[in-house]
Amino acid sequence: MSSKGSSPHQMRRGPVARKRGVTTAQIILVVGAVVVAVALLIVLNSTRLHRATEAALAYPTGVTQTGNPYKGSPDASLKMEVYSDFLCGYCADLANVLEAISADYIETGKLQVIFRNFAFLTPESVQAAQASLCALDQGPARFWQYHDLLYASRGGGMAAYSTVRLKGYAQELGLDVEAFSRCLDSRAKAAQVQADLDAGRQAGVDGTPTWFLNGQKRVGAISESDLRNLLDSLLPK
Amino acid sequence: MEGSVKPKAVPPASPVVAWRWWLMVLLTCAGIGVAGYLSYTHLFELPVICGESQECDLVAQSVYAKMFGIPVAVFGLLAYVALLILLIARRRIGENLEAYVTLAVFGIALFGVLFSLYLTYLELFVILAVCVWCVASALIMTALFVLSIWEVKSVNP
Repeated sequence: MSSKGSSPHQMRRGPVARKRGVTTAQIILVVGAVVVAVALLIVLNSTRLHRATEAALAYPTGVTQTGNPYKGSPDASLKMEVYSDFLCGYCADLANVLEAISADYIETGKLQVIFRNFAFLTPESVQAAQASLCALDQGPARFWQYHDLLYASRGGGMAAYSTVRLKGYAQELGLDVEAFSRCLDSRAKAAQVQADLDAGRQAGVDGTPTWFLNGQKRVGAISESDLRNLLDSLLPK
Repeated sequence: MEGSVKPKAVPPASPVVAWRWWLMVLLTCAGIGVAGYLSYTHLFELPVICGESQECDLVAQSVYAKMFGIPVAVFGLLAYVALLILLIARRRIGENLEAYVTLAVFGIALFGVLFSLYLTYLELFVILAVCVWCVASALIMTALFVLSIWEVKSVNP
């Protein structure tokens, strides 16, 4: 309907003096301002994401002589070796607890956490384990970021670890996706994942998460307060 | 018509065609529903109901679901609430400002469409998962935008 006004409402209104309208210039101004605002928001957001993924982690990371990634100082008096499957819910719980105590134990150099793949649940577990090692190829800090993102995405269910998604996570973190894809598609890490699984079985692991705290074997998740107590009891007085 | 007997509480402002106004209010309410639900699940860390696909959670849990610490869904909710307030205000505000309110509705809807476009791009090409709620919101916003173009035309003499 046009603004000329032939609706009964307007007729009833009687002789309205001047109707205020907007000029074309004002419309163009609004469109311009909005476009600039959205563009600015997108640029700010993508640089923020980029910086977030490049930011150094708050703890040292590295790779053990057996090729397994660790976080926390290698000189820490407490060493925790965790066998995990990326599809396992209790493993995700344990990873979250470790994240929660990170500031007090890992970042302060009291605890070193060593990650070992124990991919035994489903083919997707194996796929995710291989992907995590492909991320490790791009640096141990990258591995831990990828590790955290995998567990965070686990809620997406089985489909969360399809090849396409695994590459998507790599892209999300700003990894070199081409190298990552080559590594994943060629199954370059298949042997290592299998070797880790064998090593775990040899060490007596038959479920996840299984962890060895200063050599002592424990199975399952643990609450944050229990883990804090346990670690405190083992720390040199 | 009884118009002369009892004055209406809210007289429809001149260039606003009633059905278009109602449609926009309806769409805005639907948008508040969708964005409100997504904000609610995000803030309380609940899984998103998504039918067969599990892609909603993939999207909702991705690093792109937040911007500057605020869930994107909350931005959407704010936009829809602002639109609703403006739509209601336009009918009460009087003719002098009506055109500017119409222009503001258009501006917010344009913002919403461009932003939805960006989010849909992220879903399709970066996160590689599409969440039906997000698509629904994008479509609602697009419909609002199209209607608001019409409205702006009617106040641009």
